[in-house]
Order: sequence, then structure tokens, then C-alpha cells
Amino acid sequence: MTMARSELRRRAVRAGLLAAVAIVYLCLVGMVQAFSTRNIVGGNLPLSRILLLLPSAVAASLAVRPRVRGGVTMELNMGEAAGAGASIGLIAGAAVAVGIGIVNLIGQEAVRGVFNAVTSALMLTLTLQRSTVVGTAILVALSTATGALFALAGVLAPRLRRPIVTGLTVVLLMGMLQSVVRVMLVQLGLATQWLYSVTFGGLTYLGAVASFAAGMAAARLWALRREAAAADAAERAEAGGRPRIPRAMLLVPVGFVLLALPALLGTFLSAVLGQVGIFVLMGLGLNIVVGYAGLLDLGYVAFFAVGAYATGVLTAAVNSGSSLHPGLPFLLAVPIVVLIAVAAGLLIGGPVLRLRGDYLAIVTLGFGEIARVLVTSDWLKSFLGGAQGLIAIPAPTMSVGGLHIDFRNPQPFYYLALGFCLLAAFVSWRLANSRVGRAWNAMREDEQVAEAMGVSTVRYKLLAFACGAAIGSLGGALFAVQIGSLAPSSFVFFISIQSLAIIILGGMGSIPGVIVGALVLVGLPGFLTEFAEYQPLIYGAVLVAIMLYRPEGLIPNVRRTRELHEEEVEQDAWLEGVPEPAPSMTLGEAVE
Amino acid sequence: MTPLLEIAGLTKRFGGLAALDGLDLAVAEGEIVSVIGPNGAGKTTLFNTMTGLYGPDQGDVRFEGQSVVGLKPNQITRLGISRTFQTVHLFPNMTVLENAMVGQHCRGRAGLVSSVLRLPAQRNEEERIRDRARDCLSFFGGRLSGYRHDQPAFTLSYANRRRLEISRALATEPKLLLLDEPTAGMNPKETLELTDQIWRLRKDRGLTILVIEHDMRVVKGVSDRVVALDYGKKIAEGTYEEVAHNERVIEAYLGRKAAAG
Repeated sequence: MTMARSELRRRAVRAGLLAAVAIVYLCLVGMVQAFSTRNIVGGNLPLSRILLLLPSAVAASLAVRPRVRGGVTMELNMGEAAGAGASIGLIAGAAVAVGIGIVNLIGQEAVRGVFNAVTSALMLTLTLQRSTVVGTAILVALSTATGALFALAGVLAPRLRRPIVTGLTVVLLMGMLQSVVRVMLVQLGLATQWLYSVTFGGLTYLGAVASFAAGMAAARLWALRREAAAADAAERAEAGGRPRIPRAMLLVPVGFVLLALPALLGTFLSAVLGQVGIFVLMGLGLNIVVGYAGLLDLGYVAFFAVGAYATGVLTAAVNSGSSLHPGLPFLLAVPIVVLIAVAAGLLIGGPVLRLRGDYLAIVTLGFGEIARVLVTSDWLKSFLGGAQGLIAIPAPTMSVGGLHIDFRNPQPFYYLALGFCLLAAFVSWRLANSRVGRAWNAMREDEQVAEAMGVSTVRYKLLAFACGAAIGSLGGALFAVQIGSLAPSSFVFFISIQSLAIIILGGMGSIPGVIVGALVLVGLPGFLTEFAEYQPLIYGAVLVAIMLYRPEGLIPNVRRTRELHEEEVEQDAWLEGVPEPAPSMTLGEAVE
Repeated sequence: MTPLLEIAGLTKRFGGLAALDGLDLAVAEGEIVSVIGPNGAGKTTLFNTMTGLYGPDQGDVRFEGQSVVGLKPNQITRLGISRTFQTVHLFPNMTVLENAMVGQHCRGRAGLVSSVLRLPAQRNEEERIRDRARDCLSFFGGRLSGYRHDQPAFTLSYANRRRLEISRALATEPKLLLLDEPTAGMNPKETLELTDQIWRLRKDRGLTILVIEHDMRVVKGVSDRVVALDYGKKIAEGTYEEVAHNERVIEAYLGRKAAAG
């Protein structure tokens, strides 16, 4: 069934206005201009131009998606979609044109008094380095065309759309991660000139085509593999056997890549990965508390601080700002740090046992702040260094056959972080699939009923806090090793938010999700230094988008997906008029 | 011989309202006792107080001669009292099998360390938990077995949710089972089936059962003994015939006039 014309118009205008607001905003905060030098493909497509067209593209492809109204699916045909997409692009482009007009009318200097990102460089970027009138016209035309194209892509059958979208995404990623990929290829001794241009940095046209093709092929292969896997699973269910290739075998190549990464990436990028490792640990720990046990903890930074400070105090050999400096070796200190963190977890867990939901969140938020105040305070100054913090925290070292390894260097540090992460992931995975994990799950679903079914909620809440604290403190310990000195200002509320954002993005209760979440939210800003300034903005945008379009996260935990789409499933069943499957007589019942 | 369950002078007040008012009740091992009474008579409050959800204001609940007052719900479940809820309370996003496996939780021991290391004892226990959960689900024949094991609980039909709740309660390996309106919302055929199954719970599994029920056909069908409550007090006790014809019971349900006429 097609949609009424008036509704289509209304939807297009709304999407167009949203895109317009987004693009004007991105220009005014300076994000567009910040990316004007990072070429993606060829010398004429810097990230800034893509960013200019991105809102129209996203708005157009989302606006033409089929909707369900009163149990009937409304779909657009190609012509309608293209028309709607073009209008969306036109509105967004026109908004920028109006903006350019206003700036020219009242003068750049006057505008800059309020919006200091409005520079002549930005105006040149917006008008595509041409004269105002010609440039603006081209921009509006490009925006309109982009809207139409992406709207068309939006109504394509998923079979066709997915490979195209994947291909485009690969091109964009290859372009954005040019420094990372190039370094890796050079380290492997491969030629890069055909892929990345020497003069302008971005992908060459050949490289872009190759990336696009690779993306399409990967999407197609993935689809085929999933079909095969589904068929295989059905077959296996009938035969009652095991999968043909054990899944453990797939881990071998992954392991090789993980081990080889520092050698391929070099010092700077290995340091970024080390940072990612710290936040993978934070994510895995918080995932136990929030994802498994359902206890929303907004003060998780407390355990990060406990881990970091305990490591700092225990390993320091010289006067580091603390009166204690026992100078324990790192590996001996770590178990003690974990024990201290477990104690801290129980200490925080105890008073909040009776609290649920929002109340729990507020109280844990308070505990996070208390941790920061405590490390700053004069009261503990002789132990924790007060506002000056701790200095001279030694890096763990190791000598292997005359080779001296200092774990503060990014590449050895990466291996240390990798080891900790693997350990934490293993523990999380084993716990999730055990009696303990089941008890946590039941508690998250319905605390009172879990208690009535024999789960001691007091015990399992404390256990969740203790496990979360232990894993988080490992992140803190790594942080202390990496930085070598600790200041109270490192342990702010934002760390808690960042950890929470990682598990929300990746998917609550999902271990691979935590890893992807940390890579996206910590790794990407590290790889793309231009992003650093806009990190909070991007965080916010990514989280809103995830919550709206994929609330279960990027790599969801199966159970969470059910939870969030439960209503939809029930609605769908109702709309489609599918009756409950009638209870069929089985052999067992027939015998009775 | 001491009865399995012995309730003496049990009182629970909510503000000025006495939901239970000096209730005495004894249930012998192997008995099926129905609790009836109009809405607000204190039937569910009785269950909640017995299972530790509320602490009583006065009186005592003794199970196998031991007082359970002051124990936490999970400890009472471990002692051998399990229940279902008037409004079905499953773990909706866990699978049918997982729901039943949570019931087995209190019969397991595996903790943090053995779960992480997957020690042989833990593996055996996990196997046992799974087997017993399957066994409890198989009590309802094919309705909760086979492919249903891996379905999330929220996809079940209403009657099957009730059945799963009973299976989950069975999985805690209780001696005394408390069923709170087990047939509410079921159609006549399902109700009849469940009546028969309540009998079988005693016959096959040796359970003692206390059941709150509004459907008088069910009460008649399952009860050795019926207890009628009104305003938190016991107003009648005896066989179904005795209680059903008791004047105070009729009055409580229908009002004074009807009883007089």
C-alpha cells in the first residue's frame, strides 16, 4: 500500500528540516572545517564535504523506510522515494545556502562575534572553493542529488542494499583510517601507492573501487555464510551432532592478529590500543554489574581510582608523594590491588543493597564523587599524595635472555593490557554461563521472584559489585603503569560515563560488544586526532542514534534483544493476526 | 506426629487493617488443603507471610517443627516451601529451560571460583541442574518440552506460563507447594487438566499442597480439606461439603440476606 501524498510531503519536510538543523549545527561548531584536510577519496573529497552531505543522506534513507500504520505496511515506490529524498536534500542544502547568504549580508566579522567557527576558510569550504553564487548552487545541487540517491538506496531490497551500504562504509573507513591502514601495509612490506595517494593522502580512485568491491564481496560472503550456518545448524539439530569446524579453531587466526598488531601498528597506534585495553577492562567490569546483574552503577570510576592508587602506592619504591613506598613488584601487587578493590566493592555494595533503579544510580554516583574527594583530601594526603597526586610509579620490567622489556613502552604495554583483557573476558564468559550468571540474570529480571525461588539477592548483589570492582581495578592498575603518575583530576565522572557508554554502544551483557564499544569510543578518537575536540559531541550523537535505532547495541546479547523487542514481537503477532500455536497432542499426552 | 506445617496465631497488619488476624492452621504431610475466601480475605497475604516476603506482626509459622519467621525468602525456599504467584511472575526473557534451572539454584553449590575454572564438580552439578529442570518441565507432557525449552518465557501462552511457574516451583524440590490461584485465566478444559495434575503432584512426587482457588469445581476436585478465610480469620474448616454449606461461608461470599434467605 502506498502512502497518502500529504503524509509523504510532511515526512520529507520534517526529515529535511532535521537534516538542515544538523548540517548548520556541524558548520557552526567548526566540525566541518576541522575535517577539511583529511581527504577520503581523491583530492576532491575531504571528510568535510562528506560531512556536509551526510545529514541529507542519513535523513533521506531513514525517511523512506517502510512504516507500519494500523497493521498495514506502507512502502514507497522508487519515484516517490527519489522525490522525497531530493526534497530532503534540497531543504538541507537550501538551509546552508540561506546561512551563507546571511553571513555575506551582515559580514563575517559580525557573525564571528557569536559563532567563532565562521571563518573565511569555512565559507570557502562551503562554497567548494568557488565563487559564492556558483559554489552555493553546486552545493545545493549536490545535496539534492545525495538525498535522492540515498532515498533510492533506502527502498532497495535488503539483498541489494546491504552490500552497497557495506561497500560505502568500507570506503569511508579506509579513508578515515588511512594512517592506520597505511602503517600496517608498510610494516607488512606491501605497496601502498595504488591504494593511498602520496600527494593528497586519501584513497586513490583505484583504491576506492577496490575497497568498495571488497566491502560488497564481504557483505555477500557474510550473507551466504549465515544462510549456510542456518542450514548447517538445522541439520545439526536433526543429527544431534557438533559443528563441523569447532569454533575454537576460528580463534587461532584472531589470536595471531592480536599478537602481531603492535609490530604492525608501530608505537603511536599501539599506545592507542593500550588505552582501548584499559577501557575494555572497565567495560567488562561494569558489564557484570549493569549488564548481568542489572545494578546501574554511575560511580564506577571509584574502582578505577582504587586500582590505580593501590597500584601506585604498592609498587612505588622511592618517595612518590605517599609515605608508604614498599616497592612491591607489579605482579605481586596486582593480587593485592584486586583484593583491595573487592573490599571496596563490598563496602559500596553493602549500603545500596536495598536500593533499586534510579535510587541506586544516584547513590553510586555519590560514591564515585566520594572517591575523587578522598584522593584529593588532605586527610589521606600522606598516603595518596592529596591534590599533587602520586609520582614516580615504576613501570614493571622484565628481562628475557638479556633483552630488557619496559612495560611502559607502548608495545610491551599492549601485551600486558591484552593479557589482562583476555583474563577478564574469560572470567566474564565463564560466569555468564554458570549458576552464578543465571542467578544474576534472574535477579535482573525480577528481584523479588528470584529471591522467592531461592536466590540470595544480598549475596549475588555483593558478588556482582565485587567482581565488577576487581575487573575495573585491573583497568586502574594498567592506567597507573601507563601514566607513571596519578593526579586526582584523572578520576572524574566522565570515566564512569565513558564505561557505561561503551557497554550501551556494544550491547549490555555482551562481551564482544564491550570490545567493539571500546574500540569505537576510545580507539577511533585516538586514531583520528581531529576528532578529539568533538569527542563529547560524537559520544552524545552516537548514543542517541544507538538508543533510537538499535537499543540492544552493536553486538547484542541475545537475551537483551528479546527484552527490548518483546513488545514489538507481541505487536507484530497481534497485527499479523498470528494465533498462538495451538497446544498439540504429543506422544506423552496421548499415552496418558 | 507433628504436622508438616503449623501456623499459630498469625497476624499481619497493614496500617489499621488486619490482613491476617490470629490465624491457626495445620497441614499434615501428604495433604492437599484449599484456602478459599472472598477477595481481600487475606489468602495471598498468608502465602506471602509464610514465604518470608512479609514479616508477621504476631504468631508463628513452623515448618517441620522449625520456625521460619524471620528467615529470608531464599532460606525458606531452601527449607522446602515453594510457591507460585497469583499474577504470573516468570523471568520473561530467559528461556523456558533457564526459568526452571533458576528453580534448581537453591539445590546447587557452585560458586565463583568453581564456575570460572569449570571444575568437574561444577560440571556435574550443572548437568544435574539441567536434567532436573527438564524433568520438572516434562511433568506437563509435551507442553513445555522439546523445542519449547529454548523459547523465551514471554512467548508462552497464558496457560503455559502458569504451567511453567509450577514447573519452576517444582524445580526447587519443595516438600510443601503453595499454589496461588493456579487455574485463574485458564479455559475449562485446561482447568480440568490442571485439577488432575494437582492430584498427580501428590501421587507421583509426594508433595503436600496448599492451594488458593476461586473455582469451586477445582476446590471440590482436589481438596482433602478446605479452609475458608474472611477478614484474616478462619471462618470454617472441614471437607468441601461441610465448608460449602457452612452458613458463615455463604454469608461471607454472598452477604447476610442471602444467607438468611
